[in-house]
Amino acid sequence: MKIIAWLAGIATLIGGVLYMVVSLNRWEWNRALFFGLIVVIAEVGLATGLVLRRLARLEYRATRIDPAVAQILHEARPPSPDRFAWLREPSRDLNVFITFVVAGGVMLSGIAWVVDRIASKSTSPAGEERLGRQLDPISYPSGGLLLDDITVLAQEVPGANDDQIRQLLRRGGRPS
Amino acid sequence: MKKISPIGLLLGAVGLAIGIVGIIALREATLSTHEAVAAAETELLMSADTKGGESNQTLPEMVEAQLLTCRLEVTSDVEGPIEELEDGRFRAVLVPALDETNRRQFRGCMEDWVIDGVRINVVEMTNA
Repeated sequence: MKIIAWLAGIATLIGGVLYMVVSLNRWEWNRALFFGLIVVIAEVGLATGLVLRRLARLEYRATRIDPAVAQILHEARPPSPDRFAWLREPSRDLNVFITFVVAGGVMLSGIAWVVDRIASKSTSPAGEERLGRQLDPISYPSGGLLLDDITVLAQEVPGANDDQIRQLLRRGGRPS
Repeated sequence: MKKISPIGLLLGAVGLAIGIVGIIALREATLSTHEAVAAAETELLMSADTKGGESNQTLPEMVEAQLLTCRLEVTSDVEGPIEELEDGRFRAVLVPALDETNRRQFRGCMEDWVIDGVRINVVEMTNA
């Protein structure tokens, strides 16, 4: 297909040139101008094709690698690390991975047990004391909600509004 | 620098020579060199046909228009009417007679694409 296109372009160029010269020789200026235009069109087309073909060659050369160089680079390539080689080791050998897992689990369990014991011993007394202080404002009165008979009778005697008498009454109302 | 082969150099020289000779020949062929002519008039016989022209334009009108147009390129005038012969042929007389350069120029103009839709071929040009 490309060959046909190239041949068509070249034939158009040559034919246009011939007819243009013949038309000029015959003093047919309009015909000469027409065939000259054909020549210019064919020339531009062929030149564009040549430039594109050269660009394609340059691009091909730029992207192509010398096979010898590629072989050398391939041979000099460092081996890829085999990170799972331990999976293919014989089963009779000591498996380091499993050893680490078991030992790490035991150690972590021991550490967790120690931390739990220390936390339970250190935080419970202090927490209980703090909770007691927080419950103190809402605790029941020390003598209870019920009044004894002496206190009830003392509320109605004269002078019961005296502070010292009230102090005495409170002492008398406490349980022995 | 790329070395040029002797064959390439020879082909280039031949191409250059052909180009120069061709240009000189074309220059000589298209150069106006007028000379005295003994004849008094030039009789022109031509054939014409039309294709795709305007419907209200007749073939004699087109021939007359192109003849009068091309007459402006030479030093002669159309003498008398343009006679329409049979089979699309026309006859005209130009006075004074055309010399060789004018004959070539006039023939070229008449056979050129001057008016759309008409094609004229100069059958004979005789000086009398």
